[in-house]
Amino acid sequence: MKKWLMFALALTISISFVGAAFAIDKGNKRKGKYIYRKVYKACHERGEVDSAKPPINPDAKTQAEWTTVFSGKTFDEFGCADEWSQLSDEDLSNIYAYLHDHAADSPTPLKCK
Amino acid sequence: MKSRKLIVSIVLMSLVLAAAMIGCSSTPKTEPQAAAEPQFEKYHAIVDARFVMDHITVPMAENVMIIDSRPKRAKYDKGHIPGAVSIPFSQFDKMTDQLPAEKDALLIFYCGGLKCPLSHKSAFKAEELGYTNIKVFAKGFPGYMKVAGNYPAVSVEWVKAQLDKGADIVVIDARPKKPKYDKGHIPGAISIPDSQFDKYQDLLPAEKDKTLVFYCGGLKCPLSHKSAKKALAMGYTSVKVFATGYPAWVAYAGKDATVKTTAVQSGGEEGSIDNAVFTKIINTEPGSIYLVDVRDPAEFSTGSFETAVNIPIDQLEAKIPELPASRPIVFVCGTGARSGEAYYMVQDLRPELKEVYYVEAEITFNQDGSFKLTQVTQ
Repeated sequence: MKKWLMFALALTISISFVGAAFAIDKGNKRKGKYIYRKVYKACHERGEVDSAKPPINPDAKTQAEWTTVFSGKTFDEFGCADEWSQLSDEDLSNIYAYLHDHAADSPTPLKCK
Repeated sequence: MKSRKLIVSIVLMSLVLAAAMIGCSSTPKTEPQAAAEPQFEKYHAIVDARFVMDHITVPMAENVMIIDSRPKRAKYDKGHIPGAVSIPFSQFDKMTDQLPAEKDALLIFYCGGLKCPLSHKSAFKAEELGYTNIKVFAKGFPGYMKVAGNYPAVSVEWVKAQLDKGADIVVIDARPKKPKYDKGHIPGAISIPDSQFDKYQDLLPAEKDKTLVFYCGGLKCPLSHKSAKKALAMGYTSVKVFATGYPAWVAYAGKDATVKTTAVQSGGEEGSIDNAVFTKIINTEPGSIYLVDVRDPAEFSTGSFETAVNIPIDQLEAKIPELPASRPIVFVCGTGARSGEAYYMVQDLRPELKEVYYVEAEITFNQDGSFKLTQVTQ
């Protein structure tokens, strides 16, 4: 019984750490907007995409969905992998703040104007 | 026989009439009375523009006085020879206390040109008072203004009247910005210290025919004159100097009619300007900041700040190198989103620009030109 208790405690602590590792802070949404657009401008200049305009607008997802995307760092759907791979954690948290604060279920859903 | 006499009479009368008409048309026109020699006694010591200009110094020498004999309000206030004092001929007897105490001081009288008797009459009166070194600049103010590179001085009454009626003039404070301009200046005046004229000349209007009025610290201050000459050299065609300058403004309009520079203060968010400070700047001296509205032209056309230039966010990157470094830059849009992006774009692409801000607020423009800022909750 004591062993089970210890195991459960260890598991809880482990899960907490794993969760913390994937948690993402919300940065500066104004800066995030600029960095987000800059990613696609660079990508467009490199010739990978046809437009310098970001393909996914903030209102394309809910706030929870954006949190999932950025917590898991699953950016495949964004394309421009080279540019995304070079973003720092601070850049990502800024972009996250921009997309999250203007998500479909936010008070101010936004297309990438 | 009778009919023959009648025909002869008619022919004769016709000839007389024709001769009269020819005579009328060929009679030389008399010269207009106005072109005749002026009917007044001229003073015996006449000088030219060069003589006058040789005696214009900043400050004026104590033993030299250039005297404008024209009516003050109608003529002198609007434009006079720099350094000249106003003693209208009509007021001469009442204003003799303003003449120099030394009777051998050089007095140069002028008025409205060769047809104007006022300077001559004043000169004779001065002679009666015992002055011994009197000259008349007979070509007067028009003669002075004909000399290339000359500019008029204007009085405080004229400057105040222009500002009160919202005339399309640009008033420039040529004194050092710190501490003079920042401590107090004429409302609406822009700061272009003469010592940094070349650096800040981009603050002058693009239209070369716009009226520029330079001022500095009064009759002993040469800075406004130096700046006026530089502006003329740049091609500006309507340059004036408010020579009695800031001291005269304070004395005439009062200390309440001056403004201190409002320092740009950061707001809560990185790069944002304090909204209260921004509002104060817009209301008191909008020209002290370079205001950029980054909304689309269609939005801009529905209303914006009077001094704002429109550079849509999509076009900003190409124009960042052209942004002036001479005054703080403030970006505005409708909510703070695009202006914030503009701020970070400048931070990224031209980080040497330190005085850059954006308004983190919702801005509503009203029909009457007023505006309202509403704090945005992040």
